Amino acid sequence: MTVPGFQGPWAGSSDHAILAQDIGVQYDLRFSRKKPVRESMASVILRKPPERFWALRHLSVRLSQGESLGVIGPNGAGKSTMLQVLAGILQPSEGRLEVRGAVSGLLTLGAGFDEELSGRENILLGGAFLGLEDRVTRSLMPGIIEFADIGQFIDTPLKTYSSGMRARLGFSIATAVDPDILLLDEVLATGDATFREKSKGRVIELVRSAKAVVLVTHDMNWVEEYCNRALLLEKGEVIMEGAPSEVVALHLERTAQAKAEREAAARAAGLGEAALAPRAR
Amino acid sequence: MLRFRPMFPSAARATLRSGPGTATPLRLLRQAIDEVVSRRRLIRYLVQADMKKRGSDTLLGNLWWIFDPLLQMLVYVVFITIIAQRSQPDYPLFIFASILPFKWYQSVVTDSTMSVVRQSSLIRQIAFPKIVLPIATATAEVVGFVWGFIPLLGLMLFYADRITIFLLWVPVIAVVQYVFSVASAIFVAAANVFFRDLGNIVTHLMRLWWFLSPGLYSIDNLNSVALFKEHHVLLDIARLNPLATLFEAYRGVIYGAADGKGPPHMPDLGSLAGLLVASIVLTALAAIFFKRLEPSFAKVL
Repeated sequence: MTVPGFQGPWAGSSDHAILAQDIGVQYDLRFSRKKPVRESMASVILRKPPERFWALRHLSVRLSQGESLGVIGPNGAGKSTMLQVLAGILQPSEGRLEVRGAVSGLLTLGAGFDEELSGRENILLGGAFLGLEDRVTRSLMPGIIEFADIGQFIDTPLKTYSSGMRARLGFSIATAVDPDILLLDEVLATGDATFREKSKGRVIELVRSAKAVVLVTHDMNWVEEYCNRALLLEKGEVIMEGAPSEVVALHLERTAQAKAEREAAARAAGLGEAALAPRAR
Repeated sequence: MLRFRPMFPSAARATLRSGPGTATPLRLLRQAIDEVVSRRRLIRYLVQADMKKRGSDTLLGNLWWIFDPLLQMLVYVVFITIIAQRSQPDYPLFIFASILPFKWYQSVVTDSTMSVVRQSSLIRQIAFPKIVLPIATATAEVVGFVWGFIPLLGLMLFYADRITIFLLWVPVIAVVQYVFSVASAIFVAAANVFFRDLGNIVTHLMRLWWFLSPGLYSIDNLNSVALFKEHHVLLDIARLNPLATLFEAYRGVIYGAADGKGPPHMPDLGSLAGLLVASIVLTALAAIFFKRLEPSFAKVL
């Protein structure tokens, strides 16, 4: 399939699951909820120039069927924004994005759908939110319940669940729908050790069954072991994309460097205090 | 481990998402209609969840749907007949015929205001058509209105001579009101995302609207008010009020002639049809407004 007006090294290719070219997501900080409404109103009325902030910029990725992309980077690097764009939750402010196939939409797996409803009802509601047909959700139900392993709690309201149980239910729903493109955000950190192993097995299986996977994680071992490509994001920009071992190495190097710089700065400040202390005494 | 087959209805369909869309209003409207039709099951589940929640957290549960309008009626009866000393035959039934639909409309507007904002965490996690949220809220409120028939019929036993075949018009009038309330719900739900003060304003706006609408009085009573005698155009404006059309219609089939001397009669079908058409147009406009703002929801919430 060719995209009209699309030019670039990948134009005309046909086996991709995700094709992103120069994607950017811009926030106008005037309307951000992090600001009081009074300020937003004032800045609009006073015609202040918009305060633009790029949460993500110049992102170009091509992901083929069967590939697994690990996205790493420090906090606030735009990793989650990237997933939100791929899931269709956010519309890119610039660039082109082509997503081929059904995308799993559930990003944060600890989330429930309705506190008052039972686990079973939440599965139905969740399926409806994800756009599944009802009979499909019903046929998936036994598998989801079995995998989530929450026993008789499945018929009690979600508000009685522990956070681990919520995470397990969320993970089971998100992965049961068996999407063409699976987006996962830090899932491997949910639940207890046993469930973590189990969920790891599930993700590996999804990766192996020729599905495209984009995974945001801080677990470098996972990226090296199970992803065939990795992407390092910092401050909304792609620093490096390539083989997992190289990208992870660069990330660790940069993290260590940043840490050393912070420590040096702290030491300098500490030394300053230490130098001053005797005189003060 | 269980193996699942791919099952998205839209599977293997390439989607192209590029920068800010330049969709025409008509295309936005068509999108909105498609979304509501394809997600009707989601709307149903949301309505069921809403109903389940209401009954569960109070001692008397759903019985409040019966007591609420009755108590409100009692307050107005005490106020109007004892303090304001106005006499209108069978006054409790007179105001109950407007309290019931107004309570419905009021709860649609106040609850829908929060319908999108309340789901902020879900909106940041899943891509789904947000327009289902206010529609589900507006639809769930129908249940409260239907429960109100129980106290209405109970009350009518005291005024048995006013029970007529015209009561069967109530569902027809309710359909018109439903369409009008959906338009309002979609509009306030989207507006509140960007203007959170709306929740506070709406409460007072609704109260003002209630007193400006012919609920406690009939529109003919306005003829004797000095202000309306001087400015006839105000009376025309009062008649354009959608709630006035609805209240007069409900009162006509439940209570009868506004002066209390005539039995229940046919509603004014012309003005009801006019309101229905206007409400459909308003719903379309509200849906376009909603769809226009929808892409920014995830960024603002």
